[in-house]
Amino acid sequence: MYAADRLDLVFAALADPTRRAILARLAHGEATVAELAEPFGFRQPTISKHLKVLEDAGFVTHSRDGQRRPRRLVDGALKDVDAWLAPFRKQWEARLDNLGAHLERMNRKPKRSR
Amino acid sequence: MMTSNETRSTVDRATHTITFERSFPASREQVFDAWTKPEHVTQWWDPTGTPLVECTIDLRPGGAFKFVNDSGHAPPFEGAYRVVERPAKLVFDALGAVGTVLIESTGAKTRLTVTIRCASADHLEQFVKLGVDAGTNQTLDNLVVYLQKTSN
Repeated sequence: MYAADRLDLVFAALADPTRRAILARLAHGEATVAELAEPFGFRQPTISKHLKVLEDAGFVTHSRDGQRRPRRLVDGALKDVDAWLAPFRKQWEARLDNLGAHLERMNRKPKRSR
Repeated sequence: MMTSNETRSTVDRATHTITFERSFPASREQVFDAWTKPEHVTQWWDPTGTPLVECTIDLRPGGAFKFVNDSGHAPPFEGAYRVVERPAKLVFDALGAVGTVLIESTGAKTRLTVTIRCASADHLEQFVKLGVDAGTNQTLDNLVVYLQKTSN
């Protein structure tokens, strides 16, 4: 489950179109800062700033490959964006589990006269 | 689409709708009564399994209902029925959302589909809107779906 400040980081990171494009690029495989900067026509420090936001939000990490330090997506990070819904989902799953158990009890008990 | 245990759940952010679907080895009447009779609702409504401390149901279109659990701080689940069609359908307003309960026969089992359509200002959006500009929600959803497809 996400804490509220964590959600702030996540959605602030995703609110920017350049950062979304960077994520889309990284979904196809790791890339260096230079490789990421090229298609956007940005200078590398600009891309590095965006990458820092994505790293702080937990979306992106970098490999230790000498000077290249290619960036890649954190496994499963984007799936967790749906995590805010998880408590609600769990609540209903538990509720319907209870309903199933209750229906079983209704079936086991002899019916009272109506 | 997400599967956990026996409950299937889907989220449609375009219509602020969440759907839960589950089949039970029970009759449609039993499932409908479990949703609409206080002595039954009391036993299963609270997710923790603790019986409700208060459960009132006026089962007719326009009739009110109120489910109170024993936590003391959670707001009661209360509202009014719109449609009451035993054993097939129940529609109600509650907490700013519209709930629809469909009960269908699928041979030996009974399929329950619960749809919760939130008002635009409801919780379905309030989390998503944190720090996100208006109009980017759909983009964000598309991106997430796209990335999940391409990164798997």
